[in-house]
Amino acid sequence: MIALEVVFLIIKIVLLIGILMGGFAYTMLLERRLLGFFQLRLGPNRVGPMGLLQPIADGLKMMMKEDLIPSGADPFVYRLAPVIALFTALSVDAVIPFGAPLHLFGLTVYLDIANPSIGLLVAFAFSSLGVYGLVLGGWASQNKYSLMGGIRASAQIISYELAMGLAVMGVIMTTGTANLYKIVVYQQHHGWLWLPQIGAFLVYFITGIAETNRVPFDLPEAESELVAGYHTEYSGMRFASYYIAEYINMITVSGLAVTLFFGGWLGPWLPPIIWFFIKVAVFLFVFIWIRATLPRFRYDRLMNFGWKVLLPAAIVYFLGTAAFISGVL
Amino acid sequence: MTAFIILAIVALVGGIGVVVAPEPVHSALFLIVSIISLALFYILLSAEFLAAAQVIIYAGAIMVLFLFVVTLLTAGKEDREPPESLVGQRVTAGILALLAGGGLAVLGVVYPSRRIPLGLPAQFGNLRGMGNVLWGPDFLYLAAVAMMLLTGAVGVLVVNRPHRLAEANPRVEEQK
Repeated sequence: MIALEVVFLIIKIVLLIGILMGGFAYTMLLERRLLGFFQLRLGPNRVGPMGLLQPIADGLKMMMKEDLIPSGADPFVYRLAPVIALFTALSVDAVIPFGAPLHLFGLTVYLDIANPSIGLLVAFAFSSLGVYGLVLGGWASQNKYSLMGGIRASAQIISYELAMGLAVMGVIMTTGTANLYKIVVYQQHHGWLWLPQIGAFLVYFITGIAETNRVPFDLPEAESELVAGYHTEYSGMRFASYYIAEYINMITVSGLAVTLFFGGWLGPWLPPIIWFFIKVAVFLFVFIWIRATLPRFRYDRLMNFGWKVLLPAAIVYFLGTAAFISGVL
Repeated sequence: MTAFIILAIVALVGGIGVVVAPEPVHSALFLIVSIISLALFYILLSAEFLAAAQVIIYAGAIMVLFLFVVTLLTAGKEDREPPESLVGQRVTAGILALLAGGGLAVLGVVYPSRRIPLGLPAQFGNLRGMGNVLWGPDFLYLAAVAMMLLTGAVGVLVVNRPHRLAEANPRVEEQK
């Protein structure tokens, strides 16, 4: 029985990594095509039917590229940084339940790799380590633009992480657990949490965009000012690691948003996994839509917005939820 | 026990690396290694919330600030430590550390304490246990400490506040 469980675990890990990598490839394609449509052009559509083989061509190109290391760089940290970025991005997803438990060969298989009692906090712990990939990459390149990007990344992520943590506290208080599986089960019985936690959801989603360094919060890699920010000097697969990490972080933020506020895998008629992926896909579309719509923040406004708008809003909503849960209101 | 020994070695390597590494950023990295192995110690004690909090707060926030400051301040400078002005202080510090550690070990052997069979308290270090500790009888003191830290931070800001520019320069000050 234990052997069977181990086999299932290995299958789940391989599947998850495969899904995330495939998700990355096709989210990128989706982004490029949608950006094309948003800007009234076609986007990449030449490689394969509707451009569907474009990610494979991109991957091949990345693998063939020369792997450059600047002569002044710190070689160990330079090589370590993209690995940290990719590792943390992948490991956050280990605690997200992708679907209702399955019953196979007399075993109940939960569709997450690990189901710790504080899954939400474990996800936060891993994602809070992700910033090291950016900061160290920027520092190790010994390039002023990279360094500026790395410093911006650390300041931005520290500032927005606080509001993000406060936003999800509301969910923990409402459900009384930090276990992601139980949070979804709670929503099965008490309704999805986005409506009672609408303020927390908005704060979570905005900070989620900031944490993934996406437009309009892409100051760490602002092309018009910093060349490419923290990954200016990277090429080949190391650059691809940063790229993959960014898109997987998008998928992770969407997956957590779906799990915390939109009932996870719950939904009528279709199988639970399909529901989960549909909801995540909607969030990814919103990510891309925002990218096509909004210009980049100016740096001081970014900091003002984080500290003077999002954080107070998150605190007020958090205290309101606390008062409501404890019965004061 | 094997897990404990491996983690202890990793934690010690991290700790020694913080002191030995010539580059400040490398020291910070070693400190992160040490912090994460401490978090794994908490997991061995099945204090999963403490472990997550250790990683989120120390590795995810405080060390990021450290790195922020280190990378910002050492940018463009020769960031290796200058040669020691006091000769032989490393050796002296090492001998003193060995003496102190050895002394503690000798004391521990000479005066063995009775083992206190407490075990771990119920809900040690998990979400509810930590909540009970934080919001329990000592809540007032914790809140007072928090207020004190906040006062300190606000005080630093007030003391270091730049003098108000006469008629804000539109290029510097955002127009309100």
